[in-house]
Amino acid sequence: MSPPIPPTSPSAGTLIHPATAVDVVITHEDIDRAHDRDRVWQTRAQRGLWSRARLLWLLIGPGILVMLGENDGPSMLSYAATGARYGIGFFLPFVALTFLVACVVQEMTVRLGAATHRGHAELIFDRFGPFWGWFSMADLMIGNFLTLVTEFIAIRAGLGFFGIPPSIAVLAAWLVLFAALMAHRYWTWERVTLAAAMFNLIFVPVALLSHPHWHAVASALVTWKPLPGGLTQETVLILLANIGATVTPWMLFFQQSAIADKGLTTHDIRLGRVDTMLGAALAAVAALATIIATAPLFAHGMSTANFEAAGFAQALQPFVGRWGATLFALGMFEAGMVAAITISTSSAYAFGEVARRPHSLNLPFQQGKSFYLVLILEAAAAAGLVLIPGIPLVYIVLVVNVIAVLAMPPALLFLYMLVNDREIMGDLVSPLWANILALGVVVVLIAAGVLFGVSVISPHALSFFGGR
Amino acid sequence: MENVPDNHGTAINLPALVASLEPDQLAVAKQQHHCPRRSLTPEEKLVFWALRIYLVFMFGIVIYQVWMGAR
Repeated sequence: MSPPIPPTSPSAGTLIHPATAVDVVITHEDIDRAHDRDRVWQTRAQRGLWSRARLLWLLIGPGILVMLGENDGPSMLSYAATGARYGIGFFLPFVALTFLVACVVQEMTVRLGAATHRGHAELIFDRFGPFWGWFSMADLMIGNFLTLVTEFIAIRAGLGFFGIPPSIAVLAAWLVLFAALMAHRYWTWERVTLAAAMFNLIFVPVALLSHPHWHAVASALVTWKPLPGGLTQETVLILLANIGATVTPWMLFFQQSAIADKGLTTHDIRLGRVDTMLGAALAAVAALATIIATAPLFAHGMSTANFEAAGFAQALQPFVGRWGATLFALGMFEAGMVAAITISTSSAYAFGEVARRPHSLNLPFQQGKSFYLVLILEAAAAAGLVLIPGIPLVYIVLVVNVIAVLAMPPALLFLYMLVNDREIMGDLVSPLWANILALGVVVVLIAAGVLFGVSVISPHALSFFGGR
Repeated sequence: MENVPDNHGTAINLPALVASLEPDQLAVAKQQHHCPRRSLTPEEKLVFWALRIYLVFMFGIVIYQVWMGAR
């Protein structure tokens, strides 16, 4: 059994817990979380529309952050490449559908986090043992590090549009990530990151500046046109990149750990779901806007095979003007920045949960040294790698999204089993319809992975699936 | 320790404040109490291994594709 955490904060100590009548150690982390929960209980006790709205304001966070965080550098670049190469006919409804899939998956983490107050990595280790736990951690850490590298690629490319040298760009981004942690308070970190994440919607004015044909947009969403050019190795890669742009393993780990850190309980599940759906809706709007914004490149038959983020911004300038191109480049920077913060935080949570070290954004630096160091050093290593010259950036970001799709089925299986584990979930186990949806998602992801495998090993075999 | 100063120096009633947390939300409770391990059925182990092999195989394909792309 681990020794108790020393109460180093001046306002921490021991007391008799009112609910259990047992003498317990209270830490700085507990007091910060208790302040947040106290506000939730006081607001919940009040009646009226204003109180309902305030309660929602207090409880939103993890869902919006995870969804807008996943609208990251590689995701936005995938959407941009999609719009530029394939237009809107097939991919607008397809991407909207992937966000529904993300809702189904992330809703399970809301219930799991609120019911157990534990992070995802901790539950996997506790329930399935270290053998499977380390496999799961390896998947997460490899995926997170590769994705973090691509976030700094997006940051570098976005700021590169303004002539900022790569070394200055990645150093500035790393300092922003570092500064976001300085409050040592989950609530402050969450609100600052939420405010930054809202800038993901910067892609909406870019779409408006491209003067889309709204009738064509509405028609695409309703009719779902066939995939342009049929099923080829390239279209399979883009399909997987778009799926990987909305459902990835780090999202499961991040949202559950953030819910535990925020202190959500079973009373908050309904609004936790609202938080997740709100996040999915906002992220879907930004994603669809990016596809619409780059669709003029498809309409004018421009080749975009070797575009980076800054390349897209420059190519779009004749269609959206200088302001539109500037907003697009800023959007790429924001997407990379917010995701770098959330993904490195998910790694730090998982490390702390597995290593049995304190892991909370409410911890002062001295108490959470290992938590903060993992977060900061992982980001620093990813930032450093990006400065290596000659890296094929667009190719890397597409491959990272593909890896995310491939790693999802094992991660989803752990989630599925945990959320159906009556011993830890009680009556909050998944209903039948949710299990059917979750298993459907696993089957679709495996099928997508197999299709990708076929497209690489034997591209001609795609003709069996209606391709060429 | 009934009334103690919070981080801003304001007096707070600590027991009342901590009562807003469920007992298993306390940091010490999280550190000391863990969910018991469950045993996997043979079918569950089979699915776990199948997905693990799937993942390793697919990663191999990704590496092959990257290698082909580099050539």
